Amino acid sequence: MDIIVCLKQVVDPELPQTEFAIEPATGRQVREGRPLVISTYDENALEVALQLKDRGGGKVTVLTLGPQAVISDAFRLALAMGADEMVVVDDPRGPDRLGGEKAAILAAAIRRIGRFDLVLTGCESADWTERVVAPVLAEALSAACVTFVSRVEAADGTLMVRRMADEGFHRVEVRLPAVLSVASDESNRPRLPKLKDILAAKRKPVHVWPVADMPAAPGDLAAGVEVREVVIPQRTTRCEFLEGESAEQAAALAQRLRDLKLL
Amino acid sequence: MPGICVVATVPDAAAIPSSLELVGGARALDASHGAGVSAVLMGTGPGLREATDELHRHGVATVYRCAHPLLTSGQVDAFLLATEQVLRAATPQVVLIRADTVGRELAPRLAVRLGAALVTECVELAAENGAIVARRQTYGGRALATLVVTRRPAVLSVKPHSLEVPEPAPVPGRVEDVAVSIDADTLPARVCEVLREEAEVGLDDAQVVVSGGRGVGGPEGFALLKELAAVLGGAVGASRPPADEGWVPISWQIGQTGKTVRPALYIAVAISGATQHVAGMSGSRTIVAINRDPNAPIFSVAHLGIVGDYRAIVPPLVARIKELKGP
Amino acid sequence: MIGVDFELTTEHRLIQQTVRDFATREVGPVAAELDRTSRFPRELIARAADLGLMGVMVPEAYGGSGLDTIAYLIAIEEIASACASTAVVISVNNSLICDPLLRHGSEDLKRRYLPGLATGRLLGCYCLTEPQAGSDAANVQTQARREGDHWVLTGTKIFVTNGVEADVCIVYARTDQEPGARGISAFVVEKEWPGVTVGKVEKKLGIRASSTCEIVLEQCRVPADHLLGERARGFRVALSTLDGGRLGIAAQAVGLARAALEISAAYAAQRHQFGRPIAEFQAVQWMLADMATRTDAARLLMHRAAVLRDRGRPYTKEAAMAKLFASETAMWAAHKAVQIHGGYGYIQDYPVERFFRDAKITEIYEGTSEIQRLVIARHVLGMH
Repeated sequence: MDIIVCLKQVVDPELPQTEFAIEPATGRQVREGRPLVISTYDENALEVALQLKDRGGGKVTVLTLGPQAVISDAFRLALAMGADEMVVVDDPRGPDRLGGEKAAILAAAIRRIGRFDLVLTGCESADWTERVVAPVLAEALSAACVTFVSRVEAADGTLMVRRMADEGFHRVEVRLPAVLSVASDESNRPRLPKLKDILAAKRKPVHVWPVADMPAAPGDLAAGVEVREVVIPQRTTRCEFLEGESAEQAAALAQRLRDLKLL
Repeated sequence: MPGICVVATVPDAAAIPSSLELVGGARALDASHGAGVSAVLMGTGPGLREATDELHRHGVATVYRCAHPLLTSGQVDAFLLATEQVLRAATPQVVLIRADTVGRELAPRLAVRLGAALVTECVELAAENGAIVARRQTYGGRALATLVVTRRPAVLSVKPHSLEVPEPAPVPGRVEDVAVSIDADTLPARVCEVLREEAEVGLDDAQVVVSGGRGVGGPEGFALLKELAAVLGGAVGASRPPADEGWVPISWQIGQTGKTVRPALYIAVAISGATQHVAGMSGSRTIVAINRDPNAPIFSVAHLGIVGDYRAIVPPLVARIKELKGP
Repeated sequence: MIGVDFELTTEHRLIQQTVRDFATREVGPVAAELDRTSRFPRELIARAADLGLMGVMVPEAYGGSGLDTIAYLIAIEEIASACASTAVVISVNNSLICDPLLRHGSEDLKRRYLPGLATGRLLGCYCLTEPQAGSDAANVQTQARREGDHWVLTGTKIFVTNGVEADVCIVYARTDQEPGARGISAFVVEKEWPGVTVGKVEKKLGIRASSTCEIVLEQCRVPADHLLGERARGFRVALSTLDGGRLGIAAQAVGLARAALEISAAYAAQRHQFGRPIAEFQAVQWMLADMATRTDAARLLMHRAAVLRDRGRPYTKEAAMAKLFASETAMWAAHKAVQIHGGYGYIQDYPVERFFRDAKITEIYEGTSEIQRLVIARHVLGMH
């Protein structure tokens, strides 16, 4: 199967709160000096792609959108894990674009890459968390769509996937070509690369395409939507700590719950 | 702005109350225009009549109703076909969709097909000089973004449990039954099976939630939490690590991905309080945190805190609660 | 002096991150239990082998990862900061078995054993020490008698790390009657051959998850082509092997010291006494500062020796300095870590007591601190 995995580079979401700041002019997170990683669920998407490649052969291409100069080591690890090649759409405005715009550019890049059976993305990005890219890509590429896929159960001809749902999960049969967004699961924990593959990854092809070369997409979901402001809400709760030995703390809590009429 | 339409997917009769959250939002957006709120109501059949009445009772003037055997739980491609058909004819200016399992796929795809502006996962909606002002969480819940939508049509998906179900405001209602033709063989993605997770008390409606994190240490630890939940009449939840590790079913996961809950009491046991998780429970009325680390971020959102090992706290807590509740 | 870039290359950074992830996710969570039950980390070693950690510097042609010494030391340090036992199992396989095979083995021996050792199919152990030959390693009494195209070995080896689980042993025995170092030869012996038995299995103060035992040789027949290096030149094999082994132990020690430092800093930040975190008290701050400085210094000494080694330059003195300083730092830092934790440092619920017990051996094996000082002094005085 030929699989394209969209990976987004974000500021580490595990950053301590003290390092988290918003740039007032753009409404986006301040990136300067902060560590960059691959968005959490995108790693799960890559693992799903690699497992499919291990099972049935084929090719895994990693695709990312962003200023080329800032592409971090994390992408070399993606190649070391087993992806075959990488495409970078060099876009200085990449990190600031909303999901709808991004999806249009990614769709143009995917068309240029050529044939594919599957496009995988993370179920949401670790930063803007719009959950928009996969469904919009599916429409742009006239492909089937399933979001929040936690595992691919069978992949011969059609695909059988498991989707996370409010009540449990759904088993969904999907026609190819398809776009799937992937949620984390014990079956798709990202693998660690073999040490020798980290070295070998240096030799894998990386194509850089300027964003200006991507044909403009018709219609734009983000047009007519302005970001007015992004604020960090101030926490107003003050936690009341219950002191003493464990048994005393437990008794105090039980009493408080009774006082609050929660028992 | 004329024409606010709420999309309600009701694959089974029980689902209509959650869609009523959107009706409140729609009415607020419509308040200065009075053009009326409509709804697209879709399901397999049973319960649609009662749902129609509920919508009218809460202020929805026109209900476009579609019944089809394929409009079942999770069948996004079917709902998409039906919604697109109805909306191309009805041409509302604003479409509200609940961002549940179906809605989060439906909204963006519908927006592309209708050529509409799109904002997802809204937690607040307001009208302002003809524009819509929408607020949504970003950065795993660390920041709140305000967006202004001027283009029409606009599709807005709304995060579950963000808006309140409004007071009834009955209006004379009209129903339009729309025939939709959907062929199972042409659906690119088709739900074959719906597997429900076992739970004595469901997370969605629970008034009490006892939740465990990585610090619980393994599946055995959750037995203690189940006991606590049982004695409080509540449900058990988890943050992401226990779900990822397979200690608990994925449907127990509360957080940015996973469920959002707003119980009266939320007890966070051995949960660090990463914003990803907090985003799913910060609306809870009373938050109690039990954690060994006094610097755990969870204590900055909790109302009551105990610094200690949950294994030493929960058993005496369960015993004391039983005593206080009496026989 | 050598001019050096103090920043890691991209490859080294990625290797560090990968091994750190492995150590944090898979090794750390089971380390306490492995120590408590003295259980060999079989599944972890299999995973380590998957990643390519059992033959880090073995060329890819023989199934290894083909990386340099710094990459190897980075890997051992990361593992050791999660579990010192797992680290020593890996480091013995790499430094004391794969390395001498690479340097001194015939092509036939290399092809026969390196792929298995590098991929985890085989585990190696090193049999040099005897009841009467510890620091005085040249006092080997194990005899090797020539019989046709075999050598017949008889003797007892003690304190053999990995001895219980190993498949392949490097054994030092006296083939010639010259006294001292000059009559010793090195052999590659398979543990399942007749005449090789595991004797007493030791119960230790620390590194309990790695096995340490006697290997008894009783008329064990070893094919003559299993001689490692030249006959009667075995001691040279031992010395060159020990240089590399010392760096492996230095890395284990640096990992331990770092773990002691990190856990102490975290503990001090959250432990409140007298109304404030103890991290605000100068006494504690000074301890942490010294732990940090000495750990960094140990690592720098170690990497300096690694660079010399990779350039093919002599590095005996530098390796001895690194091992000496790192092991004494690890013991000192572990001691301070227990002190910072106070009473909790003495309790098994916290890992620092294990660091304390694990660190001690680094001052003893692969050359005691006293031997390291002798080695360094001889270089200083031009007496080597």
